[in-house]
Order: sequence, then C-alpha cells, then structure tokens
Amino acid sequence: MPEKPKLAIYWAASCGGCEIAVVNLHEKLLEVDAALDLMFCPCLLDTKKKDIEALPDGAIAVTLFNGALRTEENVEMARLLRRKSRILVAFGSCAKGGCIPALANFTTTDELLATLYRDNPSLDNPEALIPAGTTSMPEGDIHLPALLGRVLHLAQAVEVDYYVPGCPPESHQIWNVIETILSGDLPPKGSTIGCGTLTVCDDCDRTKEDKRITAFRRSYEFYPDPTACLLEQGLLCMGIATRSGCGAPCTKANMPCSGCYGAPDGVSDQGAAMVAALGSVMDIGDTAGLSEEAIAGRVDAFLAAVPDYAGLFYKYTLASSTLGGRVGSSKSTPLSPPLSGGKCSAPPLTRGGREGLTQVPDCNLSKQSGEIAE
Amino acid sequence: MKIGIYFCNCGSNIADKISSAAVIEAARSFPDQPFVNILDFICSEDGRLRFEESLKSEQPDRVVVAACSPRDHEATFRRCMTAAGMNPYLLQMVNIREQVAWVTEDPQVATDKAIRAIRGAVGRVRLQQPLERKQLEVCPDALVIGAGPAGMKAALSLAEAGRSVVLVERTPFIGGLPVRFEELFPALECAPCMLEPLMGDLLHGDCAGRIELMTMAELVEVTGFYGNFIAKIRQKPRQVSLHDCIGCGECAAACPATTMNGFNSSASERKAIDFAFAGVLPNAPFLLEGVCVRSKGEDCRACKDACPMGADVINLEEVETVVERRIGSIILATGAGLYDAAHVPGMGLGSLPDVYDALQFERMLSSTGPTSGEIMTANGSAPASVAIIHCVGSLDEDHNPYCSGICCQYAFKFNHLISAKLPDTIITHYHRELTVPGKEAHTLFQQAVQNTNTCLKRYERITDLAVSLADDGRLQVSAHGELEPADLVILCPAVIPAAGADSLSALLDVSRDSSGFFRELHGRLDAAQSTIKGVYLAGACQGPMDIQKAMLAGMASVGHTLAGLQPGRIIEIEPITAEVDETRCAGCRLCISVCPYHAITFDTEQNRSRVNAVLCHGCGTCVTACPAGAINGHHFTNAQIMAEIEGVLK
Ligand SMILES: Cc1cc2nc3c(=O)[nH]c(=O)nc-3n(C[C@H](O)[C@H](O)[C@H](O)COP(=O)(O)OP(=O)(O)OC[C@H]3O[C@@H](n4cnc5c(N)ncnc54)[C@H](O)[C@@H]3O)c2cc1C
Ligand code: SF4
Repeated sequence: MPEKPKLAIYWAASCGGCEIAVVNLHEKLLEVDAALDLMFCPCLLDTKKKDIEALPDGAIAVTLFNGALRTEENVEMARLLRRKSRILVAFGSCAKGGCIPALANFTTTDELLATLYRDNPSLDNPEALIPAGTTSMPEGDIHLPALLGRVLHLAQAVEVDYYVPGCPPESHQIWNVIETILSGDLPPKGSTIGCGTLTVCDDCDRTKEDKRITAFRRSYEFYPDPTACLLEQGLLCMGIATRSGCGAPCTKANMPCSGCYGAPDGVSDQGAAMVAALGSVMDIGDTAGLSEEAIAGRVDAFLAAVPDYAGLFYKYTLASSTLGGRVGSSKSTPLSPPLSGGKCSAPPLTRGGREGLTQVPDCNLSKQSGEIAE
Repeated sequence: MKIGIYFCNCGSNIADKISSAAVIEAARSFPDQPFVNILDFICSEDGRLRFEESLKSEQPDRVVVAACSPRDHEATFRRCMTAAGMNPYLLQMVNIREQVAWVTEDPQVATDKAIRAIRGAVGRVRLQQPLERKQLEVCPDALVIGAGPAGMKAALSLAEAGRSVVLVERTPFIGGLPVRFEELFPALECAPCMLEPLMGDLLHGDCAGRIELMTMAELVEVTGFYGNFIAKIRQKPRQVSLHDCIGCGECAAACPATTMNGFNSSASERKAIDFAFAGVLPNAPFLLEGVCVRSKGEDCRACKDACPMGADVINLEEVETVVERRIGSIILATGAGLYDAAHVPGMGLGSLPDVYDALQFERMLSSTGPTSGEIMTANGSAPASVAIIHCVGSLDEDHNPYCSGICCQYAFKFNHLISAKLPDTIITHYHRELTVPGKEAHTLFQQAVQNTNTCLKRYERITDLAVSLADDGRLQVSAHGELEPADLVILCPAVIPAAGADSLSALLDVSRDSSGFFRELHGRLDAAQSTIKGVYLAGACQGPMDIQKAMLAGMASVGHTLAGLQPGRIIEIEPITAEVDETRCAGCRLCISVCPYHAITFDTEQNRSRVNAVLCHGCGTCVTACPAGAINGHHFTNAQIMAEIEGVLK
C-alpha cells in the first residue's frame, strides 16, 4: 500500500479554536484519516519538532498552520514547516490576518508586558517580574522565546500557498478545503479557499432595506428584530464587509457579524471598507443652517456609541491591514540593534513583507522596575 | 504599449520652471518608455493641429498631456483625440502649470515634482480604457411647483412658447397668497381681478391644453438630471371632478358636516365638501376627508345626491395616486409664508382677542373673507383705534435677521384701506425701520403720513413693545412704557419660506440659505437658477418679494428653460460612471441611499444593485461606500488610482 500523503496541523499564537473546528468534522475525520496521514499536531499528537526536522524537505503534503506569529519560536516553526511542506495553508484568521493577537500591535511590547505582568489590577507581582529570555534557576536555565516587536501574520514571514479564513474556520468549509486539496484541482496559488465569493449578507437571510442609520446601538441595549437587517437596527454588523462562506451563524443567532472571515476579494482593508460604508449611511439629521462646529458635534455624538474602533473594525485583520498598527506610539523605539538589559523594543511599522523579522529583539528576563515604563 | 507624453511649454509659464530636457531624460525609465513631444501652447490653433498630426503619425495607444489644469483644456485635448481618431478617454492630463510651475520657486524642485506627476499619469493611463458617450434627446417640457403669481406666470409663458407644462399646486386652488387679498399695493388694484386674466388663460385659454394643472398635489420624488428628470407626483383625492364640476355649490349646501375654514384663518365655518372660499379657481369644491361623516363610519351621500351634474362628478371612493412625468427642467415657485408671531413674546397673537397677523387681516379685508370685508373687533364693533406693528420677527437677531421688504408697503396699504372704511379710526404704526423703495411705494406711505388720524412711532427693539389687555377690557400697546389703547392690533411678521421648503430642498438636493430660502446659484448673476442644474427659482421662495418681482422672476426662469432646452437638442452623457460588478454584489442595499442622484436601484429578483448610467454622475460616492468592493468607478478604478499614486511616490 502506498504511503498516505502527510498532513500537519500546527498552532502558533492561537487559542486552539482552529483545532476544535477540525475535530468538529466528527465522523468525516475518518475519511480524513483514510486519505491523509495526520502526523504532526501538537494539540493531539506527540510528534516532536526534531521529528519534523528529520523529514526531507517537502515531505509533508499539506500543513494547516493556524495562529499568528508572536514569538521567535512561532517564526522558526513557520520557516521549518514551510520548508517541509509542499502546500502551506494559512489556516484561520490569526494566520491569515493576525486576528486578536495582532491587536497587540496597537501598543509596544514594553507596554504590553507592563500591562500583562505589572500594572494589571488582578496581579500580585511586587517584584515587577517580567518573563522573558533566559532565567537561571537552581535546576538549570529556562529559555523563553523572545517576543517579536510586532505580531505578524504567516505570509509576513514565509510564502503561503492558500488562505482559509475564519475564527475559527467553519467545519463544513474545512471539509471543502480538504476535498479541494485531495482532488488535486487547486485554484491559483495565493487564493483564499474554504469560503464564498460574496459577503456575509449573501449568507444572511434577514430582510434588507435601503440603509440610513440614525443611531448606532450595542447588543446589550435591546433585543433586535430577528428578521430585519441588524445594521439597519443600528447594530454594527460587519457582515457587509466580510467574506461569505460561514453561513452567517452569528446573525442567525441574532448577533451581529464580527467579521471573522475578513474582507472579500477586491477589498484590501476590511476596517477601512467598513468605516467608509458606515460613514456613507450615518444619518445625522438635517444640517441645513448648522455651523461646522455644530455638525462636527453631531458626528461626535453619533460616534460616541462606538467605544473601540480598532477592536471592532480590525479585530481579525490588523496585521494584514493598510493600518498595520499604531504609528509613533511614544514608547515605540526606532529600529536599533538588539538591546541588552532586558528592554524589549519594537521594530518600526511594517506592511506585510518580511522586514519585521530582521530585527527580532532579545528580551531578557530580569527584574525590571521603572525601566519599562520610561 | 505605446505611450506619448505631450509636454506644453505654455510660453514661459511652464518652460521657465520645468526643464523639458529633464522630463525627456526621466521618461526613459518610465514604464513602456513613452516618447516625449515638446510643444508650445498646445491649446492654440497651431498647437492643436500639431498635436493632432503627431497623434495621427505616431499612433500612440495612450496619451499624457502635461500642461495646464484639466478644467482649462481637458475638453480641448479630448476633442483633438477624437479628431485624430482616438478614443478621448485614453488621455490623461497632468497639471504642471497651476500645481507645479506657478507654485514652486526652485526650478530643480519644480522639475522633480513635474516628473513625479507625469510618471503617475503614465502609470495610470496604461490602465485607462476607451469609454463611449451616450447620447440622449432632451425633454423640453417643464414642471412648475407652486401656482402663485410666479408659478402661474412661468407655466403660462412656457405653454405660450409651445412647451408642455405640469403645474403642481398643493392647495385646492391657484393664485397663491394674493388671491386671498382684497387690494394690492402699490396701486390698490383688486387682487382677484388683477389675477383673473392670468388664471383664466391658465385654465381655459388657447394654451391651457399644454398645461396639466394638478391641484392638491405634491412632488414626492425626482430622479434624473437637466433635460431628463423623472418626477413622481402624489395626487391627493379631491373627490370632485375638476373636469365635470360647474361650481354650483349644491353639494356644500347639502353637506351635514361643518368645520372651521383654514383658508379663512379659521374665522368662519365651511362644510366637509366646500370651496376654499368664494370665487376660488378652479371653481370647484373639495372634500375634507377627516371632516366628512363617512370617515366616522356613517353612510352619507348627501353631496353626491345633491349634484345636478350626475353621479360621476363626486367620487367618494377616490384615493390618492402617484403619477410619473418626464420633464427637462423644474421651476420652484413655492412662495412664502409668515413667521409665527406667537414666537415673538409680548405680541399677544393667539392669546389675546383682536390681535391678527397680516394674512389674517388680509382675509378680514377681503370681501370673500370671514367678515365679508368688514373691519370689526371680536365683539362685532368697528375699532376706534388700530395698532399696526411692523418688523415682527424681522431685522431681529433673535428671530430673522433680514428685512422682509414688503411689510411696510402692505402696512400702509392697510392704513389706506382702514381709513377709507373707517375715517375716524386712529391708526398707529409701530415701526423699527421703514422700507418703501422704488418709484411707486411712496404714494401710500405719503398718504399715511399726511393722514391726520395716523401716527408713526419708532421703537428700538421688539421687547420695548407689549400688547396687553387693559382693565377696561380694551387692548393696549405699551411702547417704551408709554400706553396707547388699541381695539385691533395687526402684526406684520417676517416673510419666511413656505412650509415644506426643507423637504423639497432635500428631495431635489437644492441648497437653501441660512434663512431657509432656496439659494440662488449667484445672487446677482444667476438669481433665477438654483444650485442644481435645470432647477430654477421663481418668486418668494427665494426671498421676500412683491408680486411684480415674483412675476418677473417667473419670466426669468422661463428664459432659462427656453434657452437651454430646445426641442430636439441632444445631450451627451459622460461615460465616467459607476457600475456594479454583479458577481461581487451581495445585495446588502447599502449603496442605494448613498447616491445623491438616485441612480442606483435594487433588483429584488436578482438580489443585486444596479446603477443607471444615464442618471449616474460618476461622483464615486457609491464606489467608496460599497463594503464589498463590488462597484467600479469607470475612469477612476482603484487600480488606476493606485497606479497613479505609485508613480508619484516611486
Ligand atoms: C400679508 C401680505 C400682503 C401682501 N400684499 C401685497 C400687495 O399688496 N402687493 C404685492 O405686490 N405683494 C403683496 N404681498 C407679497 C405677495 O404675496 C408675494 O409677492 C407673492 O405672493 C409671491 O408670489 P409667489 O408665486 O412667489 O408665491 P405665493 O404667492 O406664496 O405662491 C406660492 C404657491 O405655491 C404653493 N406651494 C407651496 N409649496 C408647495 C409645494 N411644496 N408643492 C406644491 N405647491 C406648493 C402655494 O400653495 C402657493 O399657491 C403681500 C404679502 C403678504 C404676506
Ligand atoms: S419691510 Fe418694513 S416692516 Fe418689513 S422687515 Fe423691512 S422694515 Fe420691517
């Protein structure tokens, strides 16, 4: 019997949801197993990194790589799996666009670590210990992989063959992806697969009318009409700017789409598309005779209902967006040689490509007092 | 792809600052290595000829002209392209004169800037596609909204010139404000008599066949543009056929339901089916639905049974309809109303008896009004003294900052008419300013000044005046603390735009000024045009004015319509429009309300939006709004714009 093609499923900076989505294939998993040899999946199997290193290049038929790239180790594994795989799939929104881990790009790593390990009200860390780098313990040294200055999506580190969107990808779409790959009838390299070609509105069977929104509202404020378009009811439903294919489970559950399938083809920036669309249908009332200040005041009052633009519009795509992250944060350090003394520094803003990797700073675990916050 | 760059020296305008030699050198590294042709004054006759000859001999696939602003000569150079047998949309202009040469000191910097801009244009022009202009014959007919003096004059004059006109009036009668008046300043002509010939011609004259009069009607939607508007008009039911009714009034006599008559300042009664007031045209009653006992479930047909002209004249089942008309231009003649003087504290309007605003008093003066022309107080006696308060809510930052211009004149008209009927009555004018301009207004003013029973008193601020009830039950006016009795008080409130001007402005996208009147394209040069092409303004809807000016304004709007839209004229439709990519549209309907020209419709069967290329102005609003990236802006595609930016930033 000929050897089955090898399948790897790897997680980088991710929550494990993608693995659960794979497991949700249920009995279809038997078919997957019949066709492919799932030989690497840290969540489910005990294969080690050295086992992968031992494989000849290109030995793995397909790697479904989920998670964003947060640490040097994530990048190392991405490079290794790229080398060993014939098809590398950026699987899920983290690998495709950075997703929630990439929202960290709105702060520097210094700020991030300070918030997580020092200034967090639920922490008790009187010595202000920040985990990083190498720590010597009586039992020996402990190594922690260094944080990258910025969270990257997979294609910013290695060449990606296909993208599968979703947080996590819907199981029926995962099956479609596997069938496509098994069929050998593959779309052009770089395509997004396991999804539709339109927007979530196409999946969503609510009644749509012409749109003019008189106020933004949030889910906790009211029970939306289950048949009318949520956006028309003032909820910030991202469905209009989100790729179809999920089947609109959220709007079917009377919740607005949060946009996890990312932008459809032809739209380069999901958040910007959403902002442009909402700006076009926000109805601030009759402005005849109003001063510019008064009009600006109305717009401000309208927008006050949106507490977190970035988290709303770029929840799944910040790393791959035109925006990329925050520019000129007071604490972001310019590109410089790796710092010693336990300081993490962020490389400057990068837009795709691999520049972000060339300067991976070294972070040492040390007792950091006021240093970080300067 | 062969690309030609035509660089215009514009005499020394460009040549002094931008080195054409450097541009030639730089062009070697541009994509497709375009050839560069340096010319002097491409826009001149000689320049255009040489440009065209070069296009014919070189036969480039795409052309960049680096010269002046496209606002100056894009059309010129596009015509040259056409003359040379090329599609004019394969041209891209770069404004290296206004945007570079004229505003950049250092020639080195200017040259570098020009090279970048030209490189951007080359990047963009490579992606430009040939586009075809559509041709459309204009519709010479007009829609006139409002049948007051201005609208009637416009409608009749257009019909006389052979044009078909739809005249939409929201009240049940024509004539606007003045048909409700008795006599008019400056010459004290009888108002209904003066307007009668005009109204008669409009209804029954030789050209009446070309005027479709719709009373009790309102515009509800307009799509399209100059030369080709589609208007939707809501026709409310009158329940009486204008065609068959002879105006005998038998129905009103038979009707059991009564209410107060709003057209008589609610100072007299009317029946549910009745005339607005005696003598109105068209001479037919109309039914007030809410007042008719049938609306309360009763099965009355008294009016129908009383009609001597048969059972078809009154149709109690008639319902509202919406009709559609194609027209080429729209004349707004919606006129004016009066500021609600109840907003001005101390004037007593609505709270004290015998305090009237000017329109209410005009009705009292009118022989068709509630008192049949008798000037009387609420208790039926003739007033021994009358106070006329000018400038109520005009020339007043707290209300309306402008002078309403006509009130002083009708106030002195009132003075004359009161004195004529009640010679012993004392009349006091409280005025802030006095406005009696022109060659005619002074007559009535002088008469008032010379009238020994008349007194003119100036006040500073309206708050210096107060109307109140004295202990003896008579009205009194206190001015700067000084008390004066008055049996009747007439207020002259500011003239404001007619109610509903705001929704019309939204519907047509026509701007209004800070006072709410329709804004003229230019207050001096183009005072009959609105800010939207093909929508004209006439009469008091653009500012307070008297009947003379309203009639003239009506004629001015006719002038524009006749000059611009000759029958048979062809207009070309710009091909720079938006188009929905049906394979990408998910039918969210977000674009529909975004289009300022109502050019997008939704195809419910296909579940896709569709842009009407004739209505689309190519503004690009929907292109940016579409969250699915499903709308392309021809000639301004994302790829073209990105290529241009990349070329500039390279
Ligand atoms: C108290 C008073 C006394 C006056 N006395 C004199 C005088 O003696 N001499 C003189 O020269 N001028 C006088 N004027 C001024 C005169 O009334 C105006 O100059 C004249 O009415 C302007 O004519 P118009 O056609 O512009 O507007 P209007 O007469 O106001 O007519 C506008 C018409 O449009 C209709 N309309 C409004 N909105 C709509 C809509 N949305 N859809 C359809 N129809 C609509 C209205 O029903 C009305 O019939 C007086 C004005 C006032 C207020
Ligand atoms: S016309 Fe006379 S009454 Fe009217 S606002 Fe002007 S000054 Fe005052």
